[in-house]
Amino acid sequence: MAVIKAEKTPARPAPLFETSIIGWLRKNMFSSVFNTLLTFFMLYIIYLTVSGVFIWGVADATFVAENRRECYDNSLTGACWAGVIDWLDNIFYGRYPRDQIWRINFGAVLLVFWMAPLWMSRVKGKVLVGATVVVFYPFLAGYLFSGGDKGFFMQVMVSGAIVAFAINMANALTCVIRNMPLNAFLIKTLGKTKAPDKTQRNILLLITAIAFVAAYTLQMNWLVEGVSWTKWGGLFLTLVISGIGIASSLPGGILLALGRRSKLTVIRVLCIGFIEVFRSVPLITVLFMATTMFPLFMPEGFVLNKLVQVIIAVVLFNACYMAETVRAGLQAIPKGQYEGAHTIGLGYWKTTALIIMPQALKHMIPNIVGSFIGLLKDTTLVSIIGLFDILGMLRSISKDVPWIGLHKEPMIFGAILFFILCFSMSKYSRHLEVKLSAGDQH
Amino acid sequence: MPSVTDQDSSVRIRPKEPFNFFHDKRVRSVFYQLLTAAIFGWLVWYLVSNTAHNLEARDMKTGFGFVNSSAGFDTDFKLIDHQPGVDTYGRIFVIGVLNTLLVSFFAIILSTMLGFLVGVIRLSPNWLASKVALAYVEVFRNVPLLIQVVFWYIGVFSILPVVKKTIDLSIGAEVVLLNNRGLYLATPITGSLFWLTTLALIVAVIGVYILRRRAHKLQEQTGKQTKILLPSLALLILLPTLTFVATGMPLSWDIPTLKGFNFVGGTSVPPSFLALLVALSIYHAAQIAEAVRAGILSVNKGQNEAALSIGLKPSRIMSMVVIPQAMPAIVPPMISNWMNTVKNSSLGIAIGYSEIVSLYMQTTLNNAGHAVEIVGMTMAFYMFVSLTISYFLNIYNKRVQLVER
Repeated sequence: MAVIKAEKTPARPAPLFETSIIGWLRKNMFSSVFNTLLTFFMLYIIYLTVSGVFIWGVADATFVAENRRECYDNSLTGACWAGVIDWLDNIFYGRYPRDQIWRINFGAVLLVFWMAPLWMSRVKGKVLVGATVVVFYPFLAGYLFSGGDKGFFMQVMVSGAIVAFAINMANALTCVIRNMPLNAFLIKTLGKTKAPDKTQRNILLLITAIAFVAAYTLQMNWLVEGVSWTKWGGLFLTLVISGIGIASSLPGGILLALGRRSKLTVIRVLCIGFIEVFRSVPLITVLFMATTMFPLFMPEGFVLNKLVQVIIAVVLFNACYMAETVRAGLQAIPKGQYEGAHTIGLGYWKTTALIIMPQALKHMIPNIVGSFIGLLKDTTLVSIIGLFDILGMLRSISKDVPWIGLHKEPMIFGAILFFILCFSMSKYSRHLEVKLSAGDQH
Repeated sequence: MPSVTDQDSSVRIRPKEPFNFFHDKRVRSVFYQLLTAAIFGWLVWYLVSNTAHNLEARDMKTGFGFVNSSAGFDTDFKLIDHQPGVDTYGRIFVIGVLNTLLVSFFAIILSTMLGFLVGVIRLSPNWLASKVALAYVEVFRNVPLLIQVVFWYIGVFSILPVVKKTIDLSIGAEVVLLNNRGLYLATPITGSLFWLTTLALIVAVIGVYILRRRAHKLQEQTGKQTKILLPSLALLILLPTLTFVATGMPLSWDIPTLKGFNFVGGTSVPPSFLALLVALSIYHAAQIAEAVRAGILSVNKGQNEAALSIGLKPSRIMSMVVIPQAMPAIVPPMISNWMNTVKNSSLGIAIGYSEIVSLYMQTTLNNAGHAVEIVGMTMAFYMFVSLTISYFLNIYNKRVQLVER
């Protein structure tokens, strides 16, 4: 006798083996004898590492002490973090005058505010925001950090930076509050929406010019005390060097990569030679070359300070690595894109800037961020040639009289600091990659 | 200027374009190239003339003659003899090159083995094991190598027990000793008839090779697999051992012994060598592990399933199906990692290991001057190594590509 049901049989719940924690454990950690052994071995390794690190670094550690002797009195087996805590200011700011540290903090806050619109979805004109950061911020920050008298060029650039920052902030405000970019907002407020394009542009130019003159007169009276670059140090110096390196190695790398793919033989050969030479030697030899040979290259009487020498070396070195990264991105662009651009009548530079580069850079974001992380890590090498960057500061703790011989803790502190910086950068790049490729059809 | 050609009008008629000097593609290309060459030439001339002027003003000598003058300093670690005050700067250069190559060689071997292990564990079905491997990779990739090198040196190898309390790694045999002066190893000293044992070993290796080829041929012809592991192992071990015993064991050991305040005899390496070796191996193992993982993941999943369906064991699937196909994707990044290992061995300068940068680019440069020549020679060495490695990489890539087609 056949039984026929009119309605659908309800689905049975998944077997307990698939859903419960025990089922998951059996499947993923205890599926065979070998796997079980492996699991226990790994548990043992984790136990050893975690308990060792915890006992040494937290449970037995000393956080408050006057000198190393007191640390030993407290416990012999634990870490002496007191030395690192005592030196925290030096680790972050080097030997920068203590009453001037606000300038570094102010510069950092300024950068954060300047770049913040890049992460706001309603703000228009992000390319402009990025470009002003790269072009103007270094001058403003440069004056803020080094101080002293401004030359005419520096005065112009600082006023330009102030205007750019003000426009950027105003633009972000109008975009977020009124949902229209700054230029549209200004035209509307002045009631000139019906005026021809040319008049509108002239009005905007006039406003910018007035702002520039105002900023110029404003900054005439703005003077900060001069701080010699020899006092720069710590994480601040590391970030200055790698920041300049990052900001200039990307454009340099793009130019070198384009040169390497150029049809003009002379340019191609020069670019290949340049890239290959710098890529085949270690950074430390380039730094040594900068400090020993740059003084010989310069005309007599013209002296570059060590910081500038180092920055030039870091920029040249990283531009070559970036060039190879960008080249890989360019190779992934299908030929049809070039042909399409050709068909609509674009020349070489417009094709590159409007069609090819945006696609190539989007594909290369993880690799570019990878290069930046490498650059940040490589910057520690400047301590070898005598700059007191973060590693130089960490190493000199052990030479300070109260903390003499304190080696391990500073190194581990530096490792943790770099891990946080680099790891969050790489995680963010992965997130960005997913976000940007969401719109891709292929 | 061949702006319009009448010769090929039979094939195709080109529209007549007026020749415009300023808008012609070829004229422009020649102009830009000449411009670049001129700017580059001017830059080179400017730098060279400045340098020559500066050298003259500072009364510095130029030329490579200094490599033949004697060097007045000694190094703590060297593979060839060096007498301070007698031997030349040229010899110092060779010592530096050898030290760099030595530490890079061992670091490459260790990091490749460790990297393969971690990369495979990273893909293991065991959740815990793969997460431990992931933690290893992330931690060591995201901390600057220089910090790791310095940490291993001042945090581990230079605070080992003093000579009197030496750690014996060979459990009582006193042939592998570790203390804060470095690692001491017993060194074999070969007798007069030892070459016969070496010869026997070579013969055994050739024998194993022939055995393997015959087994392979047999399998191709008849499909039968022959077990050659046991006979080849027997050949490899028994033949040299028998020769060694028959010739009267012509081998003695130079064992490090405590004399005064230090160990004498055997081979020793300083703590800086050990620290650099360990740091390089661990750091590059993390990079190689990622390359191995990416390579294995690049193999099509169907390959794995097909191998399972014909009844291969998981371990054999890995070694006979997946890894051979993953190799073309693994090898190029791995070799570029080897290249980076050689370059990163220059960080030995931070902990006083006498490799080429610290020995030649720093000490010799401070002693003898000649900045341009010394920087040039050091860079030339690194370029030579990089070009050699990338030459072999290109050969490999070509072979792999041919096999694919």
